[in-house]
Amino acid sequence: MLSTVRNLCLWALIPVALAAAQPEPKLLDILAEELDRNFAVLKDKADPKAYYIAYEVVEQQNESVSASFGVVTSRGFPRHGRTLDVTVRVGDRKLDNYHTIAGQFAQFTAGIPLPIEDDPKAIKLRLWQETDRCYRLAAQRLINIRTNKEVKVADKEVSDDFSNEDPSTHVEPPAMVSFAGAEWTERVKKLSARFAKYPRIHSSGVTVAFSNEVKYFVNTEGARLAHGRPFSRVSVSAAGKARDGMDLSTFDAFTAADPKKLPKDGEIGKVVQRVADDLIGLLDAPVVESFVGPAILSGRAAGVFFHEIFGHRVEGHRLKDESDGQTFAKSVGQPVLPEFLSVTFDPTLKRVGDEDLNGWYLYDDEGVKGRKLRLVDNGILRTFLMSRTPIPGFPTSNGHGRREPGAEVVARQSNLIVEASRTVSDKKLKQMLIEEVKRQNKPYGFYFQEITGGFTNTGRRGIQAFKVIPLVVYRIYPDGNEELVRGADIVGTPLASFAKIIAATEKHEVFNGYCGAESGSVPVSAVAPAILVREIEIQKKESSRDLPPLLTPPMNPASGGGL
Amino acid sequence: MKRAALALFVVAALCPAQEQDVLMRAMRDELARAVTLRLPNSPAPYYIEYGMDDVDTFHVSATLGALINRGDNKIRAPRVNVRVGDARFDNTNYIFSDFFGRGGGSRMPHEDSYDVSRHYFWLSTDRVFKGAVQAVARKQSALRNITQTEKLNDFAKAEPLKLDLGKSRPAAQREAWTATAKRLSAVFNEYPRLTNSVVEIDSGFGTSYLVNNEGTEIRYPDDLVTVRVRASAQAKDGMLLHDGLSFHARAVGSMPSEEVMRAGIHEMAKNLTASLDAPLGEDYSGPVLVEGAAAPQLFAQVIGNNLTLTRKPVSEPGRTFPFPVSDLEGRLGSRILPEWIDVVDDPTLESYKGAELLGYYPVDMEGVKPVPVTAIEAGKVKSYMLTRQPVRGFEGSNGRARLPGAFGAKMALFSNLFVKAKETSPDADLKKKLIDLVNQRGKPYGVLLRKLDFPTTSTSEEIQRLSVAASQRGGGKVVSSPVLAYRVYPDGREELIRGMRFRGLNVRSFRDIIAAGSGEQMFSYVGTGLTLPGLNSGGYVAGHTVVAPAVLFEDLELEKREEDFQKLPLVPSPVMVSAR
Repeated sequence: MLSTVRNLCLWALIPVALAAAQPEPKLLDILAEELDRNFAVLKDKADPKAYYIAYEVVEQQNESVSASFGVVTSRGFPRHGRTLDVTVRVGDRKLDNYHTIAGQFAQFTAGIPLPIEDDPKAIKLRLWQETDRCYRLAAQRLINIRTNKEVKVADKEVSDDFSNEDPSTHVEPPAMVSFAGAEWTERVKKLSARFAKYPRIHSSGVTVAFSNEVKYFVNTEGARLAHGRPFSRVSVSAAGKARDGMDLSTFDAFTAADPKKLPKDGEIGKVVQRVADDLIGLLDAPVVESFVGPAILSGRAAGVFFHEIFGHRVEGHRLKDESDGQTFAKSVGQPVLPEFLSVTFDPTLKRVGDEDLNGWYLYDDEGVKGRKLRLVDNGILRTFLMSRTPIPGFPTSNGHGRREPGAEVVARQSNLIVEASRTVSDKKLKQMLIEEVKRQNKPYGFYFQEITGGFTNTGRRGIQAFKVIPLVVYRIYPDGNEELVRGADIVGTPLASFAKIIAATEKHEVFNGYCGAESGSVPVSAVAPAILVREIEIQKKESSRDLPPLLTPPMNPASGGGL
Repeated sequence: MKRAALALFVVAALCPAQEQDVLMRAMRDELARAVTLRLPNSPAPYYIEYGMDDVDTFHVSATLGALINRGDNKIRAPRVNVRVGDARFDNTNYIFSDFFGRGGGSRMPHEDSYDVSRHYFWLSTDRVFKGAVQAVARKQSALRNITQTEKLNDFAKAEPLKLDLGKSRPAAQREAWTATAKRLSAVFNEYPRLTNSVVEIDSGFGTSYLVNNEGTEIRYPDDLVTVRVRASAQAKDGMLLHDGLSFHARAVGSMPSEEVMRAGIHEMAKNLTASLDAPLGEDYSGPVLVEGAAAPQLFAQVIGNNLTLTRKPVSEPGRTFPFPVSDLEGRLGSRILPEWIDVVDDPTLESYKGAELLGYYPVDMEGVKPVPVTAIEAGKVKSYMLTRQPVRGFEGSNGRARLPGAFGAKMALFSNLFVKAKETSPDADLKKKLIDLVNQRGKPYGVLLRKLDFPTTSTSEEIQRLSVAASQRGGGKVVSSPVLAYRVYPDGREELIRGMRFRGLNVRSFRDIIAAGSGEQMFSYVGTGLTLPGLNSGGYVAGHTVVAPAVLFEDLELEKREEDFQKLPLVPSPVMVSAR
């Protein structure tokens, strides 16, 4: 028989709307007491001495439901849990155990579970053991680092391993947000049933996911924080197989903080229809051929484009590490984008228009207040995303040190906002594309409407390539006609692509998602206008050559047909 | 007994209940179509099997009286197996049998939907069938380049079986078990030297389904409630000591009382605390008395696990394949135990002397009704645990397919293992015999074992070290280390020691059993088919119970665990502050 794998099986508190003014969380006191008790010994009696310790506890309540063809296919039952991450630093600010050697990031913390009840004894016992474990690993690594420094060539540019920051105090755990699980279950079931009309859609689903997150943070500099926010998402997906074996899928999602802000069934229903129509269209669409030429990326596609090819390269730690490509290392003060474009990262921005942003937070995972920064100012690179790990020329954090519980903090993106100082209308943008098509003597140009996140390799060993995975793509002919195509992948090298953005629209679109990198999955967003790129490189994606199913689908399509 | 009668009543009253079972209908109907699957110039399917476990789970964990977390989950795990070719030669028993036909994006519904369940099986079977065709073609070409030393058929016949024992009725007692977990975990407050402890209660209420194209249709409830307790601490020299304890029930009604569990935890905690101050054991070679839980734990690992024969899959030239082989392989008829010991495996028994047997099951994963098997008779190997996979010397199942296996087959596992000694001495006399031997040999002391680390609470590093040591010493497989080991002095005094492990212990050692006690020790556990299951098993599990007498070995070897001990924390424990 089947048993269940343990580790993160959790239980929900009955959601209660709490008054805004709440008593200080008892957990903060427990954390602070144990922190002080451990530090008192480790800063004086240990060898090597500890000079900094921090405790972060992330408390989450999650619930989700997925439905397919009208029935529930999986349930994330209500879960409630706490995870502990410990940071111990030994040595000193100039050289400590977090120093990167040869591209190897340090990993000490483990994201262990903590009781959800505020029992001082039970919690302190775990804090104590975890602190000891992390201290031990820290001490060992520092010794290795010191040896490494003696043996290897001195780093070309030296910067400290830990920045100097003023500690923050902010105790405002967010009011509990409720999630109507039963009601949402019925809704996703009904919405997902609409896909049943299409026998060629082999798998599909509508999923609703909710989580409420509270972060507690204390450190030996006196920081004391309790803050958080909810996350909600409805996603719609469909997949099928073309006759030549190519697997195709379409996807869309709605994001909000409070689940009550998620759209009504009417609006989600429209998206379900569009996801279905797009997939059916794709199944019979012609396959792309390799192409280099002009293309428009929709606002959402452009957002992902910027996130991948630009955002990851301005994460501060990448420049410090000797094995990273350091694309922008020497570029501060230099143009990295066309002069009409600017890029801002703003974790303080909660929404754009009516859409909540996923990348909003108050304090980062090192207890530093999230700060809005102008990263690129009219094409010129000004700064980088910074955690408390300094890089040459940038000694302080700007509140972008983030991680998923269980990972070590590195600089990560928040809300990426692209702005253009000169813009054109959507209609004009298309006209410009056609002009460019004619100018370059190409048979057509491209329009990338929907994409899903790609991946990048910024290491020195691999090619500096990026991949944004398009889902819905059109060829645009000189006569203005649009033809849906399938199998396109955007490829290319980042430096080349940046220079080739020639226009942008005024209207922005929001892409909300989750970004995975060294410190795990973190919620982010990218807000961008539609853009026209003079030259983009496309190749046909790798595709399965399996035959479609040999037997016909057993389900009876609902009356009304469909393909 | 009572449960079985109730199930039969249910079937009679709702006959044909299985007809109304949506999942069963969906599986049966789609299977009827699936047998028509064909690809040009390829062998046709001759056997198709759909299985599914539908399980509702609940979990709660607590430490020192505080709740860590709890929650529910639902798992619907379908299995699709397709064999193409024929019983003499098909796509299984080949190193790439599992490789082709993997993946798939469709989800099995958690609700009883006929249409969507059929949809799942339709896509899944299509993929698995295509994979089977690829595998058999590749297997054929692999065989052109190698010579098989033994030609075994790929599948044995079995009688079709229709069996409906009804569905499981989920009965998780969330609030009560949460309170119990908290209370039991609070026991460790009385043992402040045990720095790490946790109590977990897990329940799974499941219904198992099986349908195949031979006419087999099975449906039966399969429930399990487990209480797992783990604790660890560091001795003064830094050695990490740990122990665990588990309680099981196949029905909520047969769970042990909280008093019984509390007493068990106290005993474990006292022993673990005492171990912290115990002297380190030294290398030892001599008589060893194995009593208490250690006796069935030892028989489970060395005899029970070795009753599973493995079959080497067809490989490809140049590919070396590390392959675990049973220590009893090829030893049919050999004497491995004293001739006054029999070993019988019986999955048909639900209880024994009033205690629930964890190895009971009504039908195996291939739809074969199990029968009792005399594995060892008068000390000689008589039979093994068998599935429908032919192995050397045997073709035909005895209903032991208990877990999914590799290369398209199922894993054979023992169930309720009874070690029966025909010649016994009163338990108290065994210690006297041990001391006699000690004196005869002029040794300063003998060794007595009362409990082994089984299922193990060791860390993965510790298990690694054990495995390396086992293979270096030519012992072969890992046997878990003793948790309660004592020196027994000629005057009868017992002294607890720590840090020992077996050296070179394997099946051969069992010939040196010279006496058995008249008492019966019963030990139940849940395993995953691994030689050394962890006390944290998840996924597919099988229950086992071993009933064995205390046994006296004339000669066993134990050695010190050699390793560097981690330093004690610089910062004193937060709960021991007042003690300092």
